[in-house]
Amino acid sequence: MDYALDIGAVTRNLDKLWEGLFVTLQLTIAANVIGVIAGFLLALIVLSPYKVLSWLATLFVEFFRCAPAIVQIVWFFYCVPMLFNVWLDPITMGVMALGLNLTAFNAEAYRASIQAVPKEHLDAGIALGLSPVQRVRHIVQPQALRASVPVLLTNGIGTFQQSALVAIVGVADLMYQGKLVATETYRPIETFTVVALVYLAISLPVAQIVGWIERRHGTA
Amino acid sequence: MALDFSFLDKFQTAFALGLWMTIRITVVCVILGTALGFLTGLARTSRSRILRGVATAYVDVFRGTPVLIQLFWIFFCLPLILGTEPPNFVSACIALTLYMGAITSESFRSSLRQVGREQMDACVALGLPPRARILNVILPQAVLRAIPPLLSNAISLFKESALVSAVGVADLMFVGQNISNNTAKPVEVLTFVALVYFVIAFPLTRLVSLVERKMLRKIAA
Repeated sequence: MDYALDIGAVTRNLDKLWEGLFVTLQLTIAANVIGVIAGFLLALIVLSPYKVLSWLATLFVEFFRCAPAIVQIVWFFYCVPMLFNVWLDPITMGVMALGLNLTAFNAEAYRASIQAVPKEHLDAGIALGLSPVQRVRHIVQPQALRASVPVLLTNGIGTFQQSALVAIVGVADLMYQGKLVATETYRPIETFTVVALVYLAISLPVAQIVGWIERRHGTA
Repeated sequence: MALDFSFLDKFQTAFALGLWMTIRITVVCVILGTALGFLTGLARTSRSRILRGVATAYVDVFRGTPVLIQLFWIFFCLPLILGTEPPNFVSACIALTLYMGAITSESFRSSLRQVGREQMDACVALGLPPRARILNVILPQAVLRAIPPLLSNAISLFKESALVSAVGVADLMFVGQNISNNTAKPVEVLTFVALVYFVIAFPLTRLVSLVERKMLRKIAA
């Protein structure tokens, strides 16, 4: 190949990439805060005895899990301002779109681990005379939360990677800045490789932690 | 605002062509990617350190980076390295096949690991030759267990394939965005596109849980 690598194209534009990474991390953290909290509440609604509520919540979860994330994000950016007549800054929009998507995935994780709490434990709770609230608070919640940690982390890192999609709708995240630098300098190989390595350097340690937790609990 | 979906009728052919592209990319990449994933899974259990290292690095890179950047890399960097530009469809298939290979290799690996050590020990105790241990005992069980996660991987790929619209491949998402821009009716068009993806992916996810339950029963029996 007659292409001399020139890493200077990247090092000269590090400030742009830093800015982008900062936006990416902001999006990831904010979406995860939404996803971890709203996901749990949504799981409770899915499992609630109120059929209509439970059915609506399930529909929400399935829709966000079954439609491509890029469709959701493009939909959100184009349609929410038109439908609801609200104009928010792009980062807030990005956080909401990614947060809703993560909420659905986390709700599913919580639901699975809530249902995995052995029935005998609940029976034991009844036998001990605990009230329904006490049973949820002291038997279901601690076990379910602990069991869902690895999946929550995996989903969280998934959102970190999905956040690159907001570049398509013009949010200046790491991916967006990377594309800008690649186009401006005509150095796609260097730029995209460095950007990919930055994503990898953040995802990989978290994936290792997840593997370590799973091995410790003997679930893998 | 009043929503009117009836104008979508005019774009029937365009949507159908886009969906056909999405399906073609999905089918090609699911087949090639699953084969690649199986080979990678084998390489990761191999005795050769180098082979294991290369396979693990490949899987880590493709699972640890956004699919979008993988697509960009293949579309903008590969032509510079090769000196020629492959057709868009080929580039899209290369990128998504590599991604599929990485995620399916994990499914193969974990299903191999789920076949208990006792099975292998039992084979040794029964004096089965190594070939029979692998072909007749371990492999059938591992493949059975791998089917549900592989189906999930295929559904993921179907969804991820919408990303090719960002590099100009005329799939369902690309067609949808074009029509949405030209008609200035994003709400109707994009909602319709989202529903098409949902209507295809949702029954498939149900199918996966059905297969999973059947498999579990079969393995337990």
